[in-house]
Amino acid sequence: MKPKPRVVLVDDHGLFLAGVKTELGDAVDVVGEAGTVADAVPLIKEQDPDVVLLDVHLPDGSGDAIINAVVPERPGVRFLALSVSDAAEDVIAVIRAGARGYVTKTISGPELASAIGRVASGDAVFSPRLAGFVLDAFRAGERVGGDAELDELTPREREVLQLIARGYMYKEIAARLHLSVKTVESHVSSVLRKLQLSTRHELTRWATEHRLV
Amino acid sequence: MPLPAFARHADEGVIAGVCAGIARALGVDVTLVRLIFALLALAGGAGFVLYAALWAYSDSKSPILIGLLVIVAGAFLLHAFGLSNRSVAGVALIAGGLTLTWRRGGSFQAHAAYSWAGIAIAAAGAVLLLAGGRPSATLLAPGAVAGALLLIAGPWLWRLAVERDAERSARIRSEERSEVASRVHDSVLQTLALIQRHAQEPRRVAAIARRQERELRGWLYGDRPLGDDAASLAAALSDAAADVEELQGVRIELASAGDCPVGEAAGALVLAVREAMTNAAKHAGVEEIDVYLEVTDEEVAVFVRDRGTGFVRADVPAGRSGLTESIERRLERAGGRATVTSAPGRGTEVELRLPREAT
Repeated sequence: MKPKPRVVLVDDHGLFLAGVKTELGDAVDVVGEAGTVADAVPLIKEQDPDVVLLDVHLPDGSGDAIINAVVPERPGVRFLALSVSDAAEDVIAVIRAGARGYVTKTISGPELASAIGRVASGDAVFSPRLAGFVLDAFRAGERVGGDAELDELTPREREVLQLIARGYMYKEIAARLHLSVKTVESHVSSVLRKLQLSTRHELTRWATEHRLV
Repeated sequence: MPLPAFARHADEGVIAGVCAGIARALGVDVTLVRLIFALLALAGGAGFVLYAALWAYSDSKSPILIGLLVIVAGAFLLHAFGLSNRSVAGVALIAGGLTLTWRRGGSFQAHAAYSWAGIAIAAAGAVLLLAGGRPSATLLAPGAVAGALLLIAGPWLWRLAVERDAERSARIRSEERSEVASRVHDSVLQTLALIQRHAQEPRRVAAIARRQERELRGWLYGDRPLGDDAASLAAALSDAAADVEELQGVRIELASAGDCPVGEAAGALVLAVREAMTNAAKHAGVEEIDVYLEVTDEEVAVFVRDRGTGFVRADVPAGRSGLTESIERRLERAGGRATVTSAPGRGTEVELRLPREAT
């Protein structure tokens, strides 16, 4: 059996933090908690956990500030964003900073545990809503046009994202598209990479303009 | 190089050094200044009085004295140019009245006696001037009176306007605050009360909380007023999803890419989607339904998916027209089409498509 992922929780709502810890139970090994950017950065550097469960909004900054401060020294740490906000701009910003996925705070305990496990093993966790945001962001970028074909989604990646948005799980997507689950995962990771590496400011502009939920 | 400020130079002067001071301050020859004063002195003696006024000014004497001297100098000058005694007195009174009004507080003050006294003096001057009757006076009078009125009332009116502006923006702010308060009361507080009352029914509480969350989110992050009718397709679907959640006790995960306004056909689409969500909630036996809206330049597509029991089309009794009538036919009439994919044990997905031009 794989060792339990070591997790640091970063959230400023004590009640929520306690709830998450109880719900996760034995599925993960919580090695630290922090409520601010200032506390979280040294803690994460010291603990070097597998996964950081990261609230998008913190009292002294946003989640992407933590990612930017930690990643150069601890490239192995993976981030899973967690938010009640759902404002597309916040979500896209934290994903672009390097988070491996995004889930909403209404997620159930077992689902959260499984999402942490997937992020720990290097996969991306796309909720249907995030998939919708991402499709929208890339389409806004393409409508504007541009030379960087690199930044565009392949038809296959788009198909995979659409199925995620429709509520399909990786396994179901694999069956439907006659692919292996690994291939589906690699498509998702490649979308994530494009999202993070894209220099198109249309993506950022989309995120700031797009206040839809 | 800046010129020195005006100051008397008694050591260089003939009388008190006023001319020498002016010459220095203006950077001109003192003889020229003396010549001008001599000419002014010939003009009814205005030069003498003006000299005295500047002398008083340079020694920081009372402003009233200086003002009076300047007025007298002006009066002498006007008289020398041929104005009647009466007109000169009128102009002098207006000037004196203005001086009194302006000297304190910088402008007219409705509650101060000297302000009114100043106005009374200026008004008396205006009457004298207007009643003068001589051609030179009739030419001068209306302008002088209008100018005087503007100088007296202008700053006061302006301040009134500023105060009214401040009052109005304060009123707008307080109206906004009470608007927010009433919105929050109508929605969030009502919901909290509802949750307390239904504390024993977790599913209902969850549905109520989710509905409130959606509504608040739409108001905070969207441009949709709380509780008002949805302005876009995504918002309309979100409303429909919230209704079904509340009525059927399921969770509906709504994702979207793109959005568009709601026309008649899109309205029919919303009703069809609502029916599909209700069907899934009633018959699939699941707790969660996924709904995805995608709007492209060509079409609007909505997918309603559950992982429930599924069904075989042929087994559905003919009388149960929900699927045929409320979803398929409705969408066809609107110019779109619906496809249902289902198999026992494999869940159901309803796909609803509408060409963009139909919306």
